[in-house]
Amino acid sequence: MSRTMRIGLMLTFIVLQVITTGCWGHREIEDQSVYIGLGLDVGSPSKFEQEANEQGGHYPKMNTVTVTVQIAPAGSSQKQGGQGSPSSGSQGGSYQNQQLTGDSILQVFRQFALRNEPPLVGLHLKVVVVSSELAKQYGMGQIFDFIFRDNDIRESCLVMISHGKASEVLNSQHPGEIPAFRLRDAHRNRYRNQKILPPVTLVMLENNVRSKSSFMLQNIVSAEGEQYLSGAAIIKGETNKWVGELSEAEVEGLSWITEKKLGGVVKTYTIDGRAITYEIKNASAKVVPIVSGDDISFQIKISSEGRLIEDWSQPDITPQQTTVLQKLEEKFEEQARKQLGQALYKLQNVYHTDAAGFGEQIRISHPKVWKKVKDNWDDIFSHVPISYDIKMTIIDYGSSKE
Amino acid sequence: MVSTTNKHTDQITTAQAAVLVINYTLGASIMTISRNLLEAARTPDIWISVILSGLICFLAGLFILWLCQRFRGKTLYEFMPEITGKSVAYVIIIIMIVYFITMSAYELRMMTEVTSDFLLEDTPRWSIIMAFMWIALYLNVGGINSMARLNEIVLPITLIFFMVCILSSLNLFDIKQLRPVLGAGITPVLHGIMPALSALTGYEILFILIAFMKTPKQGIRALHAGVWIPTMIILITVILSIGVLGLYATANKTYPTLTLVRSYEYQGLIFERFESLMLVIWIMQMFTSFSIMHYAASLGCSTMFNKKPNSLLFVTLPLIFIVSMVPKTLMETVKLGEMLGVASIILFGGFPPILLLVSVIRKKGMRRK
Repeated sequence: MSRTMRIGLMLTFIVLQVITTGCWGHREIEDQSVYIGLGLDVGSPSKFEQEANEQGGHYPKMNTVTVTVQIAPAGSSQKQGGQGSPSSGSQGGSYQNQQLTGDSILQVFRQFALRNEPPLVGLHLKVVVVSSELAKQYGMGQIFDFIFRDNDIRESCLVMISHGKASEVLNSQHPGEIPAFRLRDAHRNRYRNQKILPPVTLVMLENNVRSKSSFMLQNIVSAEGEQYLSGAAIIKGETNKWVGELSEAEVEGLSWITEKKLGGVVKTYTIDGRAITYEIKNASAKVVPIVSGDDISFQIKISSEGRLIEDWSQPDITPQQTTVLQKLEEKFEEQARKQLGQALYKLQNVYHTDAAGFGEQIRISHPKVWKKVKDNWDDIFSHVPISYDIKMTIIDYGSSKE
Repeated sequence: MVSTTNKHTDQITTAQAAVLVINYTLGASIMTISRNLLEAARTPDIWISVILSGLICFLAGLFILWLCQRFRGKTLYEFMPEITGKSVAYVIIIIMIVYFITMSAYELRMMTEVTSDFLLEDTPRWSIIMAFMWIALYLNVGGINSMARLNEIVLPITLIFFMVCILSSLNLFDIKQLRPVLGAGITPVLHGIMPALSALTGYEILFILIAFMKTPKQGIRALHAGVWIPTMIILITVILSIGVLGLYATANKTYPTLTLVRSYEYQGLIFERFESLMLVIWIMQMFTSFSIMHYAASLGCSTMFNKKPNSLLFVTLPLIFIVSMVPKTLMETVKLGEMLGVASIILFGGFPPILLLVSVIRKKGMRRK
């Protein structure tokens, strides 16, 4: 190889090293606003916006939605929460809530730039909270359209509904606590309490929205600046809008058929009004769709084993006797039946919405029938007879006999 | 036509041939396959279409194998004139070269679309493309052997990481989404075969590879590996996509396989976001299939014009770049991919049996023992 060629090659390699390194668009994490929680409310401009508006700080928009973004602390250089953000509450500095109103979520996001905030980055969004009020007005497909399309936001992000304002749910009174992370981790307690719904991620939501099937989302209330998971919000498949809520007891009742693994308790009262509690050790449920001609009905068979774990009655029940045991079992069965019945009643007669996946059973076991009924399944479901049978067996009574 | 490559020194083993076929097959389509299938047939049964397509590909590959065995040591470009006569052969060869160029351009384009969307958002496209193309050029100048060696290194890495990435979604898997099996009958399954085929056709590269093999008799092994391994991978991808994302979300996402990796989250591991890992792996995979296609196109030109293949690598490279820039939107790119799928089925599913028949009738090539 000649000398000139060698030098030429060397120069090429040096130039290549410069132009082929992949760090052209690098951005420092300190210079970004990483938002981890997103709250969507019915549009009501904050005080900051109203004041800015009076001074001419506005652009053509409708006040459809108020977007609250919860920004994680980036680094030590970040200013502490509360001071720099006109619309955030007083926090201990572990997170920052920013709020703006508009009619396009992306435009609102870009609008944050006008407040000289670092650009928002959605890569680490963990939870989206939509207020029931907004979900009542707009379909989930509309509200989430941008979020489904955005390439920053991961599909593993969770979706919840707040009974009140979503921005309030994203607040916390405890210093050092980040509400978005708490909400994300909430479903981890499901093995202890079956009132918590299985987590719904963005992709599950998208699947439900596109398939036009009804479903439930975790409902959250906030009290005294703390979040509380309470019951379920029901989204009707036809419109993708919020139609109502199921209470905690009803969710617990439904969980017998919607959950595979139960980790809850059944509490009922003895004749003289004293609490007795059954701890579920295992449970299995079978929902059998019965189709004969045009008539559809469902048969639910639930069986469970558990232990008698708490007993307030005086004198104590002695569970060794089988007759006593049987009576107790019947009591618990009655309670579970009541809860399930109430939930089913609400779904069928109040909301006319199949949010518990009965249609799914028909789709799987009778695909041809499903083809005929799927377009107005919610109506048909409202009149479908559902019979249920619960069998509970007390197999032990803890480490104390009486 | 005279052979323009030295097939005595530049030979590949059977394993290398198999690896090349697998790498050639697994390209851009793996990102979109589930959606393509569901667009053709809105049923969870499309995994059956994938298996059927695997079978069809294997059968089609057998024809190519038989053809190649009649013409030992010759690539398609070399033995085609013997079968059909020069004029017809030139037309077919030009069509094939155009196919390979367009195919590699498509791979290149999809690679840039996905990387600039999800990985290197602000990096200018030309810099991604240039690095990609030049390295492929550098590799291909070394001939088929260096390409085969690189593929051997790359394939285990990509397969293992790809599998880790998509199998990690298993705890979100819901078998209900895949039921009922054959709920809508067999017709939708048949509709799904076309897109499945276009993702799985890769056996055609055997037209070229067998000529370079040390033991061409073992071509059948390369075909087995080259058809069944991609079939398995696509099958797993499709089943997981539907089982995890659901039928409707899968049909609705631009890149369902990427969405699959983005739909789960493990806390406390080194990576929280596996999609970056998968994209990096996938770019390696794209690189290998791109380089093989580039090589195939250049080899065709070199045989036709009787020139050394290396010089033609430089000619085809800008052509590929230009073609890759032709589709203006993502929709057009997707359309191009679909057209290429159909083209490959006609070219490499329909032609080989005809060629085989003609060669038997005209008594060209060696007879099988």
